[in-house]
Amino acid sequence: MAIQDPSNTIVLQVEGLHVNYGVFQAVSNVSFDVRAGEIFGLLGPNGAGKTSTLSAVEGLLQPQSGLITVAGYNVKENPLHARANLGVQLQATNFQPELTVAEILQLYAGIHGVALTKEKLQHILVSIKLEDAAKKRFGQLSGGQQQRVSLIIAMIHNPQLVLLDEPTTGLDPQSRRQLWERMEDLRSNNHGILLTTHSMEEAEAVCDRIAIIDHGKIIAIDTPQVLIDKHRNDPEVISVSRKGKITLEDVFIGLTGRTVRS
Amino acid sequence: MTTTTIPTNKAVLSSLLRADFTTQWRNRKSVILILLIPVIILISWKGLVNKLGGAFVLANCITIGLNAIGLMGYSNAIARDRDKGIFQRLRVAPLTAWSIMVSRLTVQLAMILMITTAVFVAGYYADNISLSPAGYALGFVMAFVGGAVYLGLGQAIVGLIKNAETVNAVTRLVYFVFIMVGMFAELGALGDKVGNAVKWSPYGTVKHILSAGMQPATWNQHSTMAMLVTAGYAVVFAGLGIKWFRWSSK
Repeated sequence: MAIQDPSNTIVLQVEGLHVNYGVFQAVSNVSFDVRAGEIFGLLGPNGAGKTSTLSAVEGLLQPQSGLITVAGYNVKENPLHARANLGVQLQATNFQPELTVAEILQLYAGIHGVALTKEKLQHILVSIKLEDAAKKRFGQLSGGQQQRVSLIIAMIHNPQLVLLDEPTTGLDPQSRRQLWERMEDLRSNNHGILLTTHSMEEAEAVCDRIAIIDHGKIIAIDTPQVLIDKHRNDPEVISVSRKGKITLEDVFIGLTGRTVRS
Repeated sequence: MTTTTIPTNKAVLSSLLRADFTTQWRNRKSVILILLIPVIILISWKGLVNKLGGAFVLANCITIGLNAIGLMGYSNAIARDRDKGIFQRLRVAPLTAWSIMVSRLTVQLAMILMITTAVFVAGYYADNISLSPAGYALGFVMAFVGGAVYLGLGQAIVGLIKNAETVNAVTRLVYFVFIMVGMFAELGALGDKVGNAVKWSPYGTVKHILSAGMQPATWNQHSTMAMLVTAGYAVVFAGLGIKWFRWSSK
């Protein structure tokens, strides 16, 4: 059943999620929620279980057990309804390289049941400062421009929940700041955002709450500041601190270890 | 309480079809190549038309075109889009997986229609080959049946092999083997044993039903058997292709 979207409404609920690949347990008993008007960061080293968790939320893989609802719709029982309330920005540039920006926007509007008039298309392009790029192929855009197109496509059907998978990877500082501002705009418009990132600076700057996942389990969940305050005296955290001041990155490395993951 | 609107199948399919046809159009160089090879063979075989028969020559050229569509065009496009994550991006939208494939296959059906028409037109003007109206109509029907074999084979290869570059290499090899062995064996250059094996191969049965379909009066028990074997190939290849297919290459 759909839930209305006032502030603090839960737009994503993940409860007791388990994902296995054969005998390997990628996600084990993961639970968290994302509320409307919240940016929730899911942080973890490589192979920690972030992508598997996101894939389960997107309905791209079947978890062994657990409950996932998007805007109140069970992802397993009502996948189309859940996906209709979900906007996704994936890491890679995954649009047909033969299509122009306008054609890609028309395609994604169409498959989300959104009527896109010429005026509306132009308005969208102006809003992302790409009014002259309508006839450009996606591959001809810069990294920052591609991310703007990708984000607007994720938002084209005005979803309650937006998944952003490492959206600022490879962007210059200006483009990254611009994307943060767009995320904050989404938050102020009451969208819930689930963000994965390897940038602790980004997580600290934009996330309202953070979950740190490692070896498939959530090992900490709270606001960035509370996490820092809670762990500032941990010996592991102090030992990795570099500037005398405890940062979120120190807490993250302290909790997940110094070992580089493949 | 809010209600969620799910787009209709018609709206989804029309958006997908528009994008897939546009993609195909933008790849028109490879489309022209797929069209050109059978037409060149058709023209270069002008002197053999009286010896081999017009329907044989047309069937041979259409079979080569169908091979190219299923093995070179379709399978490589699917492998590339899977590798680039284009399917994953589409699958997080509120649409069913079958609608993505229906759209892709519709484009291929249009390609089969185009190549068959091109061969018929080129055959008429370059080699003076003309068929009865029933021959043309059955020729199109058999082209679709034969096309299903190669699309199924392409799907099976994409299902079996995850890497797009390996798919490209394997499909080129299979295409080359089918064409070279098929053509030379049918012309008797590879001996009776190979000739008989080729007769019941996907190349031979498709070519036979096309040829027999274009001359309905010559349809015989062998043609019916070839038709059944062709349908069997299509079902087995497509079944394996669907069973083995994964939407992501990772």
